[in-house]
Order: sequence, then structure tokens, then C-alpha cells
Amino acid sequence: MVKNILFLLSTLTIFSLGVADTCTNPQVAATAYTTNDATVLTNIAFVAEFQLSCSSKVNSLPLYAEINGRTVPAARLSEANKYQVSWTEDLKKARSGDYNVNLYDEEGYAALRKAARSGEDPSAVKPLVTIVVNYPGAYQGPWVNTDFMAAVLAVLVWYLAFSAKSKLLA
Amino acid sequence: MKNSAAKSSGKQPKSFTREEELLLQDFSRNVTTKSSALFYGNALIVTSIPIWLFYRIHMIDVYSSIISFIVVTLVSTYLVALAYKNTKFILKHKVAVKREEAVTREMTKKLAEDKKMSKKEKDERILWKKNEVADFEATTFSIFYNNALFLALVIFTSFYVLKTFTPAVNYILSVGSAGGLIALLSTGSQ
Repeated sequence: MVKNILFLLSTLTIFSLGVADTCTNPQVAATAYTTNDATVLTNIAFVAEFQLSCSSKVNSLPLYAEINGRTVPAARLSEANKYQVSWTEDLKKARSGDYNVNLYDEEGYAALRKAARSGEDPSAVKPLVTIVVNYPGAYQGPWVNTDFMAAVLAVLVWYLAFSAKSKLLA
Repeated sequence: MKNSAAKSSGKQPKSFTREEELLLQDFSRNVTTKSSALFYGNALIVTSIPIWLFYRIHMIDVYSSIISFIVVTLVSTYLVALAYKNTKFILKHKVAVKREEAVTREMTKKLAEDKKMSKKEKDERILWKKNEVADFEATTFSIFYNNALFLALVIFTSFYVLKTFTPAVNYILSVGSAGGLIALLSTGSQ
């Protein structure tokens, strides 16, 4: 009985070691989507999909993403080594430009959390790989409303007419 | 001013020469039938335009407000035409004074070749031309000015002042008040 348990434990350990295998020389190919039209929205969605390939043939590595101090787990897609990271930003806080998505494996994520707990600089923990999501900004409606534009134009035409009239009556 | 409509009524009193009669017509508030038709036609078009604005932009229910469309359009057509007339009357003299010199110069040059024509006849023609030029300019400018003011008022009141009202009420109030206001303003600035 004890032997059996020991065997099970050792198998599990080996298995878990196998899963926690590190990814060496990681390469990513990523595509990203960000909200285009935010006329009726309050949040901007960011979705990044990427495929991770390592020199060491590891599969289904659990990954975590860190974006500007926020951590989210990367969802594994059905395809091998394909992941998806998604998050939202408040419309007012979302700045346009490049967003660095730092990806960590379990080990790196643990180190990151430890660094955050002990008040160290989390950026000291080197990510496994970083992908860049570019957010060009979202359309938030026209700068001036059409009714305002129409009113301004109408008043402008009237003003021209009025000044011409005053000139005639002068 | 009572005899000012003498020409249009056809009963030309003997006591007035043609020149005097032209002068009287020049100071008349009455407008010819042609110019009246122009005023009413224009006013009808301009006061019908807000219907489109309310139909497409304010999403008014067209079928239930068809009566108010007709009534408001007719009333404001009358008011706008009144404003046209008043503005034209105010403008005409000023325009005549402003254009007098140029018209006289041009007509004198034109009539200089005609040696047979008497001085009186030439003066009459100049006066007639002056009247025509002033009438035309005052008419067109009056239409332009009042249209611009009417549409600006409609847009401003319907989008900003009466924004919270229902489209049907907004239509009646904004178009009606715009018509009333331009009629009032046209009489005020004499």
C-alpha cells in the first residue's frame, strides 16, 4: 500500500515536472484586435491571440499575462500551443499606442507574485516573452455634433446677411 | 400714400405726371402681383423645409401631425411673406440711394448716342431704371436675409431651446415662433 502511494507520488512528481518544463528560446506569432468603434461603449476590449513555439518541445504550458501591472491568465485554445489573452480598459483611461503584454510561465508568474507581495519591483522578473498589442484608438463619434454644425452654419449665413443688410442700411 | 397704388389699379389721376407717379410707386409699400407671387412662393418653400428636418431628424410622426404641418406652414408662409415685404420696403430706398450714381452714369452713357431723345425722357428712363434696379436688389436681398434668419431660428430653437419637447410640439412652436419673430423684426427696424 505504502509502495503504491509512493509510486503514485513519484509518478505525479515526474508528471508535474514534465508539465512545468521550461520553454527555451520562445517564439511567438501574435495577432490582436482592439475595439474600433466606441461611440456607444464604456470600455475598450483588447484581444491578443498568439502561438508559442519553443525549442524544447513543451506543450500546453500554462501562461499568465501581465499588462501594465494587471495579471490575467492566458486562455489555451483548442489548437496546440495557441493562446488568447483578453482584457478591457476603461474608455477614458485607454491610451492609444503600444501595449506590452508580458507572458510568464508558472515559474515566472510565481516570481512575479512574490515580487509584488514583498514590494519589490515586479519588472525585475524577466518575462518568458513579450508581445506588443497596438491600440490605434477607437472612434468615439464626431468631434462636433451635426446639429451644432448646422446651427453654427445657419447663424453664420444669417450673420453674413445681417452685416450685408447693415451695410446697405448704413 | 393713398394714390400710391394708382398705377396698379389702372386709374391714373391726371394731376400726376409719369415721373411723379413713378416716384410715388417708389415709396409705396405695395408690391406688384409678380413680386407678391415671388414672395409667397418663396415663403412657402422655406416654411416647408422644416417639415423635412422634423421628419428625418426629429422623427416626428408624419401622419398624426399632418394638420399641424399644413396650418403651421400656411401661417408661417404668411408671416414670412410679410417679413419679405417689410424688409424690401425698408431696403428699397437705401438701395436706390446707394445705386443712384452708378445707374445714372450707366444710363447716361447708354442714352448719350440717342440725340433725338429729350432731356425729360432721358431723366424718366433713368428714374425708371433706378426703380427697377432697387426693386430687384431689395427683393432678392430681402428673400435671402429673411430665409437665412428664419432657418437659423428654426434650427436653433428646435435643437436647443425646445429640445426636451415632443417633436410635434417642437415643430409647432419652433416654426411658428420663427415666423412670428421674423415678421416682428421686419417691422421693428424701420
